[in-house]
Amino acid sequence: MAFSSHIFLFYFLPVLLALYHMLPARWLAARNVLLLVAGYVFYAWIDPRLTLLLFGLTVVNYALSRLLAGSSTRRVRLLTTAGAIALDLVVLGIFKYTAFLGESLNSLLRFAGRDTLPILRIVLPVGISFYTFKVISYVVDVYRGRSPAARSLLDFACYVSFFPQLLSGPIQRFGTIDAKGEIVPTFADQLRTRWRTPNTFSHGVALFMLGFAKKILLADGVAQVADAVFAAASPGTLDAWFGALAYSFQLYFDFSAYSEMAIGIGLMFGFDCPRNFDAPYRADSFGGFWRRWHITLSGWLRDYLYIPLGGNRAGTGRTYINLMIVFLLCGLWHGAGWTFIVWGAWHGAWLVVERLLGRRPFYAFLPSPVRVLVTFLLITVGWVIFRAPDLAEAGRMLAIMFVPQSAQGGSTLLSAVIYTRGHLIVMALCAVLVSQPLQGCDWTGRLHWAKVPVLIVLFALALMTMFAQSFRSFLYFQF
Amino acid sequence: MAARRFPCICLTVVFLAMIAVVAVSQIALELRAGGPPQIAELFRQKPTRANLRRLESSLESGCRIGQMVRPWMQLARFVLLEDAGDNAILGRDGWFFYRPAVQYLIEPWSPEGGQTQGNVFDAIISFRDGLAKRGIQLLVMLAPNKASVYPEMLADRAGEHAGPINATTTDIVTRLKQAGVEIVDLFEVYDLAKRRAGSPACYLAQDSHWSPDGMRLAAEAVANRLVDLGWIEKRPTRYETRSARVERHGDVLRMMRVPQVERLFEPQRMDCTQVVDAETGQLYADDPNSPVLVLGDSFLRIFERDEPGSGGFVAHLASNLGFGLSSIVSDGGASTLVRQQLARRPALLRGKTVVVWEFVERDFRFGTEGWQRVPLPPE
Repeated sequence: MAFSSHIFLFYFLPVLLALYHMLPARWLAARNVLLLVAGYVFYAWIDPRLTLLLFGLTVVNYALSRLLAGSSTRRVRLLTTAGAIALDLVVLGIFKYTAFLGESLNSLLRFAGRDTLPILRIVLPVGISFYTFKVISYVVDVYRGRSPAARSLLDFACYVSFFPQLLSGPIQRFGTIDAKGEIVPTFADQLRTRWRTPNTFSHGVALFMLGFAKKILLADGVAQVADAVFAAASPGTLDAWFGALAYSFQLYFDFSAYSEMAIGIGLMFGFDCPRNFDAPYRADSFGGFWRRWHITLSGWLRDYLYIPLGGNRAGTGRTYINLMIVFLLCGLWHGAGWTFIVWGAWHGAWLVVERLLGRRPFYAFLPSPVRVLVTFLLITVGWVIFRAPDLAEAGRMLAIMFVPQSAQGGSTLLSAVIYTRGHLIVMALCAVLVSQPLQGCDWTGRLHWAKVPVLIVLFALALMTMFAQSFRSFLYFQF
Repeated sequence: MAARRFPCICLTVVFLAMIAVVAVSQIALELRAGGPPQIAELFRQKPTRANLRRLESSLESGCRIGQMVRPWMQLARFVLLEDAGDNAILGRDGWFFYRPAVQYLIEPWSPEGGQTQGNVFDAIISFRDGLAKRGIQLLVMLAPNKASVYPEMLADRAGEHAGPINATTTDIVTRLKQAGVEIVDLFEVYDLAKRRAGSPACYLAQDSHWSPDGMRLAAEAVANRLVDLGWIEKRPTRYETRSARVERHGDVLRMMRVPQVERLFEPQRMDCTQVVDAETGQLYADDPNSPVLVLGDSFLRIFERDEPGSGGFVAHLASNLGFGLSSIVSDGGASTLVRQQLARRPALLRGKTVVVWEFVERDFRFGTEGWQRVPLPPE
């Protein structure tokens, strides 16, 4: 169920809000049970069979974490942790990477002149990348002794299936917080204590309204441009750049809208969730970008991958290798395909270059706005690789972007599809919004009279637009 | 403190009202209509993925508030943003284009790419061969996409472009010709017509179909080809024509399903010519015993079965040839469905010597049910 769908917005959310707030606030366990049931209904809506996977992962990880918490033997603790992580990764691997591995193997076999193998194609359960990372962070935190094991299966199941975060994050940890991210109470604490006021609820409402408007009015608008350009046979250079920029905007507004809606819904149920974005396209370096983009994933990769690999404590060379490993895996986490791996390598390589230059980009001598622009364009180039169905297509698109040419054949008609008044307005709005520092979370934090009509008009406009256009899912569901 | 709380409360109340009103009003209206609310389906059927998708889709499409808001919102989007919706694209001077037809031209596509069910070459050649075994000749007529003929009405730069707009179509047609399939090249016919100064447009501004003039050119071209090939001998015509003016909004404009937008445009005026039997004065009617069978899609329906009637391609082809024809029309289904209909009606093929098969260019990729091999009806 997507937050911008009819069923969620007009049936699931109002019914759940009513049921939840009808329960007395002191009946916290009952409220948690309700949220657990809601999480499973929410997930089952996509495909009821997927709940078995979610339930299985929850039970096994909970059992292993109890075993871990009850043992003082280092060897047992290590084995249990390794077993839990291996299990989670195997599950993720089976569902997400089987076809990719099969295809890669077949490419090698074809290259060697051998017969290819049949490929097992498994439907990717939406959100699996997110909730496996959540359970891994939990197991590792328990192993490290930074977080107590969940007191009950209910608590843990509630954490894993917390529906605002289930499909696309933010990747909130159970018993710890990301010290470099936004400081919010741990999820475990919030399961036990949720002091809320009407202002907190309305902050959630405001954030949800704003996120919904961003998704419907901006992200879905620029998506039409990106889809048309990336699908065209021979767009011109200007078209290709316009499409690439549209995709950069789409990714940001789609995903940040989802995150804001998730945080907003969390607040309506009394939960604080960490923010995921902080004006990422205002970054003037790749390092800065990753401190602002998908912050909970960056924090996860840092704490559960980069630092365990040795981080920057094992010498300069090792630091570069670690960075590359982290970003190659970051790419692979986003999708099972070589384009994602190359996208990860693109980011990893630029981060290594910045480390080599003393944590500064090679264009650090330029004035700040130009640095921001260069960073944004380099990131956009990365998104082209990220968006393409394969490397050949990515190469074709990049060639069009960098070798000036005009549209050919039927693609000359593209201008009628992409340079419409509506698209030009939305693209201009996106450009203005990505370049200003104020974020939705902050803007909605302090509500006053001037903001209320703005939010109501935006939300109403988005609702009416939703009625008038085809449904478009959130981009990050595919990861 | 209270001053700060009041906007919060106000926003919350408005939000809750906005998300609750849709379901509450829907359920109330459905109960008032005497039926159970649609959402109750959730508890009446097995919650499978397919059932849930079906329910979700019917909730969306059946939403009364949505139905009420949609046309006004689409009107606003059309007027302010020039957004003609999912099916239409607004071109120059009030011309509308059917979006999938434009998509066909913009996107790379290969008939061997596995994107369609069946294979276009296999379907056409096997049909031709099957007919040939019965002594029946096949003439294919490809109706061009409007944007292939008038790209400049959609995008200025397309008009300035030197190369072909529809390279894939050209390639398919060439390959079919190489395989011995007889094809009437309307691209050439329309290109010549466009170059003649002052000649009327071959396509309708608000429609995806040809204009009466475009249709007449196509009928003439097919008739001439049939005669040139020696497959048919022209007979002294038993028909005459009479003028009939039709006014209506085009199908692409109507596909928006927004009467408010339709009202912004004058209905398109079409000067048609109906074909009538010179002896009886009756409007042209198909002859099941004709040696010629015409298969096709809505390009055959327009002016013929629609207003004014008997003024479309089949009637005009008949007028050109001098005798009545048989026809099967399947809207949007000329790639496979029309042949399936033929397979179910064996009588229609009896006594035939020629089949004319019309389909629209975009059907190479988007034809309903793809390009399946369909066995001919038993003799």
